[in-house]
Amino acid sequence: MAVKVLLSALMAFVIYFFTISMHGANIITWIYGAFLLYLFISMIFTGNINKYRRIFQFVFAVLFTISFIGNLYDERGSMAITQNALFESEIPFCHLVIPVSIIPYALTKTIIFPARITGHYAAIVSMLVIWLTAALTIGRGWCSWACFYGGLEDGFSGIAKKQKIKLLPKSKEIRYFHFAFFSFLILMGVAFLSSIFCEWFCPFKLITEFTPIVDIPSLIATFIFMSVFLIFIVILPILTKKRTQCSMLCPFGAMQSLLDPVSIYRVAIDTDKCTSCMQCASVCPFNAIDIDTITQKKGRPEITCAKCGACIDVCPQKAIKIEFSFSKALAKKCGPNILNPDSKLQKFFIDLLNPKYVFMFSAFTFGVVISSMLSTDGMRRLISGLLSALQLGGN
Amino acid sequence: MSLWSGAIQSLLLGFSTGTYCAMYCAPVLIPLVTGTDNISLKKTGILTSLFLSGRMITYIILGIICAGAGLLVSSFFDPVFARRLSVIAYIFCGAILLNNSFQKMKKKNEAQCRGLKKISVFTSNDYSTAVLSGLAVGLHICPPYWATLFLCSQSGSALYAVIYFICFFAGTLPFFIPVFALPFAVKKLPALKKIAQITQLLIAVYFIIFAGIIPLFFYK
Repeated sequence: MAVKVLLSALMAFVIYFFTISMHGANIITWIYGAFLLYLFISMIFTGNINKYRRIFQFVFAVLFTISFIGNLYDERGSMAITQNALFESEIPFCHLVIPVSIIPYALTKTIIFPARITGHYAAIVSMLVIWLTAALTIGRGWCSWACFYGGLEDGFSGIAKKQKIKLLPKSKEIRYFHFAFFSFLILMGVAFLSSIFCEWFCPFKLITEFTPIVDIPSLIATFIFMSVFLIFIVILPILTKKRTQCSMLCPFGAMQSLLDPVSIYRVAIDTDKCTSCMQCASVCPFNAIDIDTITQKKGRPEITCAKCGACIDVCPQKAIKIEFSFSKALAKKCGPNILNPDSKLQKFFIDLLNPKYVFMFSAFTFGVVISSMLSTDGMRRLISGLLSALQLGGN
Repeated sequence: MSLWSGAIQSLLLGFSTGTYCAMYCAPVLIPLVTGTDNISLKKTGILTSLFLSGRMITYIILGIICAGAGLLVSSFFDPVFARRLSVIAYIFCGAILLNNSFQKMKKKNEAQCRGLKKISVFTSNDYSTAVLSGLAVGLHICPPYWATLFLCSQSGSALYAVIYFICFFAGTLPFFIPVFALPFAVKKLPALKKIAQITQLLIAVYFIIFAGIIPLFFYK
C-alpha cells in the first residue's frame, strides 16, 4: 500500500512537471494532468494494466490526430503535402520511417526523408533521441505505451465483444509476414533511396498528411492509403480484436521487436504455474503468444511482445509477470535469498523495486512525456472547435 | 585513351561506386540466397556467381552495342531511354522472382507430377532465377555505368568494351562478400528462410506494379 501511494505521489510530480509546468498551468493542462493521474492510480491500485493503458493510448491517439491536423492547417493551410514543404524539408519526421532511413544513411550518408534535422518537435534528431531512449528502457513497449498511432487500433479492437476471426492458429505466419514486410521495406529503401512505406503503404496518411491527388499514381497511392487504413486500422481490429497494422505492417514495431533484447524489461511466463488455458494467447493483440509458445513451455512470449499487459491481466493463474532482463543473472550472482527481507524497511524497498511497478511507472512516464504537448494542444483545439460550433449554432 | 588506362578507370569506377551496385542487387540477391533450400556456403557461392554472371553478360552486351555504335550512341541512348530500360528490367525481374516464389509455394504439389516438374525446372529453380534476374539487374544504369558506357562508345572496339566492363564488374565484386554471411545467419535462425521467401514475393509484386507498370504508363 505504502509503495503504491509513494509511486502515485511521484507520478503526480512527473505529471505536474511535464504536463502542467512545461505547457502552462491552465484549465486544459490541469484536466489532462488529472486524467493521467486518475489512470495511473487506477492502474497501480487495481493491478489492471491493460484496461487503463488502452484508455490512455486511445485518448492520446485521438488528441494527437486533432493536434497534428490543426498544426498542419496553421503551418500550411491544408493537410496536403506542399511542394514548398518538400523542397524545404519541412515534412514532420515520423518514427515509423526510422528503420527505413537508418541503413540508407549508413551506406550513403543520405537522409531519405525530407524532414528538418533539428529545431522542431517532429525533427529527425528529436525523434531519434526519443526512439533510443524507448529502445533502452521500455523496448517494444513503445507500441503499447507511447505510440500515437497504435491507440486508434486499440480503440477499434475494443469495439466488438468477441473475436469474429480467430488469428491464433496463424500467429507464427503473421509474425513471419511482419518481418518479411519489414525486410522488404528495408531492401527497397536501400535500392530506391526512398521510403516506399510513406509513398505507397502508410495507413496514417489519411489522418496526418497526404500527397495531393494530381495524377494517376497519386490517385492509386491515395486508394491504397485508404484501403490499408480501413482494412488494418478499422475492420481487422474490430473483427480480430488484435492490432493488425502493428503486428503485420509497422516497420517501427518490427525494428523495436528486434531491438527489444536490449530493453531492461521483459514479460516472463511461469511454466510451472501455467495450465495452458491459452487465454493469454487469445487476447494478445500483437500475436506474440501462440500455441507453440505455451505447449513448448518457452517461458516468455515471442519477440513481438509489446508489454501491453493484456496477458498479465487475463491469466487466471497469475503465471505471467514483468521482470527485469537482468533478474536471473542478478539472482545467480547474489544468491536466492536476495529478495528475502529482514525488516519492514527492506520489504518496502523490495516492493518499490518490484519490476511490475517500476515498469508501469517508467512506461507511463514515457507516455506522459510524449503525450503532454500534443494531447493538451489537441484538447485546446477540440474545446475551442466545440465552443465555436456552439456559438455558430446559437447564432 | 589506351586500353590499360581505360581498364583501370573502369575498375576504379566500379570500386568507387560498388556500394550502389550492391544496393541495387540486394533486393534480388539477398532474399533469393536466404530463401533457397539447403543453403550452404557452396550454394551461396554458386547462386551469387550465377547472379553476377548474368549481370556481367548484360554489361558486356550493352558495352558491345555502345562500342559498335560509337559516338552515334548519344543520338538514341538518353536518360529517358535508360529509364525505360530500367522499368522494363524491373518488370522482367519481378516476373522471374514471382514465378520462383510461386513455384516454391507449389513445390509439394508439383513433386507429385513429374511432367510438370521437368518443364518448370528451368523457369523456376533458384539457379536459373539467379541468372535471369542478374541479366535484368544489369540493365539498371547508374552514373558510373554511364561513364563506362561512354568509354566503350569512345573506344569503338568490342574487345575494349568487354575488357572495360569486366574491369568495371570486378571493381564492384568486393561489395558482395557480405552475402556469404547469409548461410550462417540462416543456420542460426531457420525462420529467416521463410521470411526471405515472403520478402521475395513482396519484392516481385513491387517490381512489377510500383517500379514497373506504374512508371511505364503514368510517368513521363
